[in-house]
Amino acid sequence: MAARPARTVNAIDQTRRMLSLVTYLRERPGARIADVARAFGITEDELVADLDLLPMCGTSFRGGDLLDIDTDGERIWWHNPAALGEEAAEPLRLAADEATALLVAARAVSTLPGLRESDRQALLRATAKVEAAAGEAAGASSRLSVTFESEGGVFADVDRAISERRRLWIRYYSPARDEVTEREIDPIRLVSVGHTYVEAWCRRSEARRTFRLDRVAEIRILDEPSAPPVMELRDLSEALVQPAAEDPEVVVEVGPGGRWVAEYYPHDSADELADGGLRITLRTPDPASLRRLALRLGADGRIVSPPELAESARAAAAEALAAYDTAV
Amino acid sequence: MAIAKAERLMNLALCLLGTRRPLSKRELRESIEAYLEAGNDDSFNRMFERDKDDLRELGLVIETVENMDGEVGYLARRDSNRLPPITLDAEEAAALGLAAKVWQQARLAGAASGALQKLRAAGLPEDVDPYEAHGALEPRIPVHEAAFEPLMLACRDRRPVVFEYRKASAARPEPRHVEPWALECWRGHWYLAGFDRGRGAERVFRLSRITGKVRSRGTGFTAPVPDVVTVRETVAGWAGEIADRSALIRLRSGAGYPLRAKAVKVRELGDGWDELEIPYGHGLDAWLVEFGPDVVVLEPAELRADVVDRLRAVAKG
Repeated sequence: MAARPARTVNAIDQTRRMLSLVTYLRERPGARIADVARAFGITEDELVADLDLLPMCGTSFRGGDLLDIDTDGERIWWHNPAALGEEAAEPLRLAADEATALLVAARAVSTLPGLRESDRQALLRATAKVEAAAGEAAGASSRLSVTFESEGGVFADVDRAISERRRLWIRYYSPARDEVTEREIDPIRLVSVGHTYVEAWCRRSEARRTFRLDRVAEIRILDEPSAPPVMELRDLSEALVQPAAEDPEVVVEVGPGGRWVAEYYPHDSADELADGGLRITLRTPDPASLRRLALRLGADGRIVSPPELAESARAAAAEALAAYDTAV
Repeated sequence: MAIAKAERLMNLALCLLGTRRPLSKRELRESIEAYLEAGNDDSFNRMFERDKDDLRELGLVIETVENMDGEVGYLARRDSNRLPPITLDAEEAAALGLAAKVWQQARLAGAASGALQKLRAAGLPEDVDPYEAHGALEPRIPVHEAAFEPLMLACRDRRPVVFEYRKASAARPEPRHVEPWALECWRGHWYLAGFDRGRGAERVFRLSRITGKVRSRGTGFTAPVPDVVTVRETVAGWAGEIADRSALIRLRSGAGYPLRAKAVKVRELGDGWDELEIPYGHGLDAWLVEFGPDVVVLEPAELRADVVDRLRAVAKG
């Protein structure tokens, strides 16, 4: 289920990379494996796999030699750079997909509120240059766009606290409990996956937590230094909230009008029902927090289990209705 | 052992880039080991056509020319394949390095890295670590929807598509025939804007509601593509963020922070309740019901009735 870009050997990506690699290596006799891997954004193993393959390649029809490239494990040597004519070694123009991928991402990042102004300017300059160099290939990039949502002021404060290694005080809204609580957090990093979050060590709960920036009601940078414990950074690309296996199970049945629940709540299973609805099984550390969901669903769904949760939603609705009977 | 496809593609690319005259299929077959081993003509021809398509996807411009003997030949001219001169400073390079890492989708992640690698080959400075340069920011573009890639290609190539689409409240999916214009990611979800042939009008689709495969159907668009496609406005309307009226509610003190954050006016009533004037758009009734007994709708009567209906449905169990 990893959403991480596939690291399996992909012949297209590898060919693309090797075509750039020969141009790059031709200019740099004795280049270090570690440096080249970093410049190309690949692992040293991937680079070595490319170096194993390149000696099988060449412009053979012209009677030219195969590329005589080898490595001593540290540096890369190319013994017959002339095997690739001057012309065949020139950098290649960008493909439409390459221009689209880079330009759409660059435009999205440049709209992030809180991005340092100098970085934004650099990105805008780079985007314009790449657009110009891509020429026609840049055209299709307008058919794809991405907007990151984040609260500018909060973002800037968190970003500053991280770079200055300072603690933050926040008032944070938790929708599950409909309450705003004060916390001191030691920020670790900002993550944008649709919404923007700060991952931090929460000193109140003494645990790692992610906070959505648009739920931060108030923020202050404190004078105390930030001192999060050393932690391994998780891959947050799949989901920020990953329910644990031991969390209690909740079963919800929704009609066609409640199918959106399966889109918004990570779940273990969603089985089709005869009426076009779904039976959704999910886990949450705090089932009471789903009372909001039960209330929101109205006629479009109901909590099957646990029964206490279903009952608490019924009771809340009855109590709310009472106010309408008595009010004018 | 079969020869790796990357080796075959690389050899074909180098042959086509290195030649000054068109090379015939026969010549290419003789000079590339993988083609010699390809077996019969049929399997070679299929392999060769696929390989040419793959190289074109990588951006290679391959020309098909007839030579003097009337034989078809192929070449990739340097003039049409050379990257125009581009000079980027270290800061610009670091910024692009950050941007190239944001895709969570394999095809686009590969394409973005490929773009950066071509720029590296052209001399893009590489001494700055993008994460060092950009502090703690880690933007990611999530792509979980299977329909994304075929629709991205269809938008790129302006190809009409057919897919099964289940509207938010519909029990069954229905086939839709769409001329796709643009894809937009907003709040972590992907949307497609296009011309819906069945409805004869512009429509916006949420990719997670597309079921089954996206298929190409027919060629060419019948409706003009607008200069500006407004996915976000349409989706904001669905989400109730376009409010044209206002509502008056009572809210228990201390509760409902997001309602307070949106309120136009707040008045303390003093008995443990506040009175709020809030924007009233699509979906407000469902949102207010979430707050249970902490919210009472005062006006308008229509919203009050909607909320009471919803509460009755829940109370009934």
